[in-house]
Amino acid sequence: MGKREAARQRPPRPPLRAEARELWRSRELIGNLVRRDLKVKHRGTFLGMLWSLTTPLLTVGLYYFVFKVILGAQPVSDYPRPDGHDIPFAVYFFCGLTIWNFFGNSVALAASSVVGSGYLLNKVYFPRAILPLSVVLSSLVTFGFELCVLMVSVLLVVGLPSAHMLWLPVIVAVAALLSYGLALLLSTLTVFLRDVAHFIGVFLQLWFWATPIIYSLQFVAKRSGFSRVLKLNPMTGVVVSFRDVVVLNHAPPFRLLAYDAVVAVAMFAAGAYVFSRSQRLFSEIV
Amino acid sequence: MSIAIECHGVWKSYRIYHQRSHTLKEKVLSRRSRYDDFWALRGVDLEVQAGTTFGIIGANGSGKSTLMKSLARILAPNRGSLTVNGTVSPLLELGTGFHPELTGRENLFLGGSLLGQNRAHIQARFDDIVDFAGIGEFIDAPVKNYSSGMYARLAFALAINVDPEILLVDEVLSVGDESFQMRCYQRIAELRMEGRTIVMVSHNLDTIRSMCSHAVWLEHGTVQLAGESDAVAAGYLAEVHRDASQHSGLAPSGSRHGTGRVEITGVTFVDRNGVAQGAFRTNEPFTVRVQYRAKERTDDIACGIAVLSAQNLSYLFGHSSNAAGLDLDLDGEGAIEFTLPSLPLMQGSYVVTVALEGVKQPGVFDMHDRRYSFLVFENPTLSLQAGMVRVEGSWTVSPSPVAA
Repeated sequence: MGKREAARQRPPRPPLRAEARELWRSRELIGNLVRRDLKVKHRGTFLGMLWSLTTPLLTVGLYYFVFKVILGAQPVSDYPRPDGHDIPFAVYFFCGLTIWNFFGNSVALAASSVVGSGYLLNKVYFPRAILPLSVVLSSLVTFGFELCVLMVSVLLVVGLPSAHMLWLPVIVAVAALLSYGLALLLSTLTVFLRDVAHFIGVFLQLWFWATPIIYSLQFVAKRSGFSRVLKLNPMTGVVVSFRDVVVLNHAPPFRLLAYDAVVAVAMFAAGAYVFSRSQRLFSEIV
Repeated sequence: MSIAIECHGVWKSYRIYHQRSHTLKEKVLSRRSRYDDFWALRGVDLEVQAGTTFGIIGANGSGKSTLMKSLARILAPNRGSLTVNGTVSPLLELGTGFHPELTGRENLFLGGSLLGQNRAHIQARFDDIVDFAGIGEFIDAPVKNYSSGMYARLAFALAINVDPEILLVDEVLSVGDESFQMRCYQRIAELRMEGRTIVMVSHNLDTIRSMCSHAVWLEHGTVQLAGESDAVAAGYLAEVHRDASQHSGLAPSGSRHGTGRVEITGVTFVDRNGVAQGAFRTNEPFTVRVQYRAKERTDDIACGIAVLSAQNLSYLFGHSSNAAGLDLDLDGEGAIEFTLPSLPLMQGSYVVTVALEGVKQPGVFDMHDRRYSFLVFENPTLSLQAGMVRVEGSWTVSPSPVAA
C-alpha cells in the first residue's frame, strides 16, 4: 500500500475544537492531577501546604536582608509611583520574580510532563494535553500564594495599590497562555529529543536575564538602545506590566502588552498544533 | 441492537528501531534512525454489539494487546476506522496512576478519574470499595505504607467498582489470587447483567467460552475466525492441536541442561494405538516415550517425568523409574516408555519436564525442563467433573444422621 494511500485512509484527527471540548470534559481529572502535584510537593513535610506561603515569605525576607542591609541598595526611583512612595528594591525584585517564577516553573516542569507520565500513557486514554496543562495550573496555584505574600508586602512597605490592579487578570492570562503554548511545544519536543529537558534550564536562565526583572526597562533604555531588543522578548511586557500595576501604580504599557498577547496567542496556536499532531505517537515512544 | 465497537480494516504498525536515537548527539551522528515497521494489526474487522461480552483469543504476539490498546484509544491505528460508542474504562493494569505519597482515599479519586469515573461515582461506591479492600483506617495513610497485599486489594477494589458503558479487561486481572479472580468474574457477570459491553482478552479458553457470547481469534494481526465464542474457541483449539502434533510436542519455552553423557534425543506422547499425538482425552491411555542415546554404556540411571499445568506451571504429578524399582542400564540408542493406563487430567494444556539423572552418583545427564506440551480434551463418554484432575468418587446420602 502506497504512502499516499495510507495517509488518505488514516482516521481524521479530531479538530482542535473537539480537543478543547474533551479537555473541558476531563476537568475533574485535571483538578485531581493539579491537587496531586500540589499535595505531593508538600506531603511529608511538617508545615505542609503552609510552605506555599513560607517559601515566598522567606524569599522576600532574604532579598530585603541582602539588598537593603548588606548591599545598602537605594529604593528604585527611575519610574516612581505617582504618589511618590519609595519602592524598596527587595519588593521591586520580588514582584518581577513572582510572575517570572510562574512562567519559568510552568515551562521547566511542563517540558518533561509527557515523558514523565509514560506509565499513564500506556495504560489509559485521556486527552494528552492535560499533562502540560495540569503543570501550568499547579504553577498558577503556587503563583497565587506568592501573589498573596507580594500584595501583603506591598501594602505594608509601599502603600495601597491603585485601580490599575484591574489589569492583573489580563496580564496573568497572557503569561499563562504563553506558558501553556511553550509547554505544549517543549513537552512534545522532549518526547522526541530528551536533550531538551537539560537544555531548558540554561535556556530559562538566559531568558531570565533578558527580562527586566532585576533591572528596569528604563535603566536599560538610559544606557543603550538594547531595550528595543528586550521588547521583543514577550516576557518583558508581562513582567513590566505586572510590576507597573502591582507595585508602581501605573497603567501597563499597552502596546507592549498587546504585542505579548499576540505572541502568546501565536505561541499557543503553534504549541497546540504541534502537540495535537504528534500526540498519537506519545504512547509508543515514551 | 446497537453497535458498541466497530473496526474496519484497522492496521497498526510499530517501529522497531535497531538503534534508538534519543539524544541530540545520536540524532546528529546518524542522520536517519534505522527502523523496520512491524505490523501488529493487519486489517482487522470487528463488530461488537452493545450489551454483549466479547472475547479476544490468540497466541502471544498475535495482536491482542495492540487491539485492546487501540480500542482504549491508547494507540492510534495507522489506517482504517475504529468507532467506539460509549465511555470506556480500560483495565489493563491494577492501580493505574496511583501515587505512593497520596493516601488511599486520594488515590481512589485520582485513579477513578483516570478510569473515567467521576467524583460522585467514587463517592457513592466509596464504602463498598474500602470494605472490599479490607484496609480500614489505612485508607487515610499514604499508599507507600501499604503492604503489597493491601495495595493490590485497594487497586483491585477500585477496578471492579468502575461503571463504564464499555469495559476492557486484559489478562492482567487474572493474575490475582483465586478470590480476586472470583470477585472479578462475579463483577463482570454483574456488569453483563446490567447490559454493559465487555471486551476481554484471555488465554483461558474456558473463561472465554463461559463468559463471552462472541469472540474473535487473532493470528499475526489478522482475524482468523470470528463468531460465537464456542465455535471460535473450538477452531482455535483445533489449530493449537494441529500445531502441537506438527511440532511433536515441543513447547516453545523451556530450557535444557546436563552433562550429555546420556542424551534425550526426543520425547513423544503416544496414544493407545502407538501413534504419536499432541492431544488426548481424559481417561484414555497415555504414554510418554523418551528416546535416548548413550555415548558409552552407563548404568545407575533414573528417568524422571514431571507434568505441570501450562496455565500456571503448578506441578501436577511426577514419576521416576528409580522409585518404581527400575534401574536403567543404557547403551547406544533406544526408548524408555512411561504409561498411564488412564490419563487423569481434565481439559487443558500441560507441559512436561523429562530428565535422565544418576541415582547413586547424583548428577544430571540431560534435563529438558518444560520443553514438551500436550493438550487434553473433554471425554464425552465421561460424567461431568470440574477442576484440573479427574478423580473417581461416589456419593451417598443417608436420611438419618450418621452415627459418629
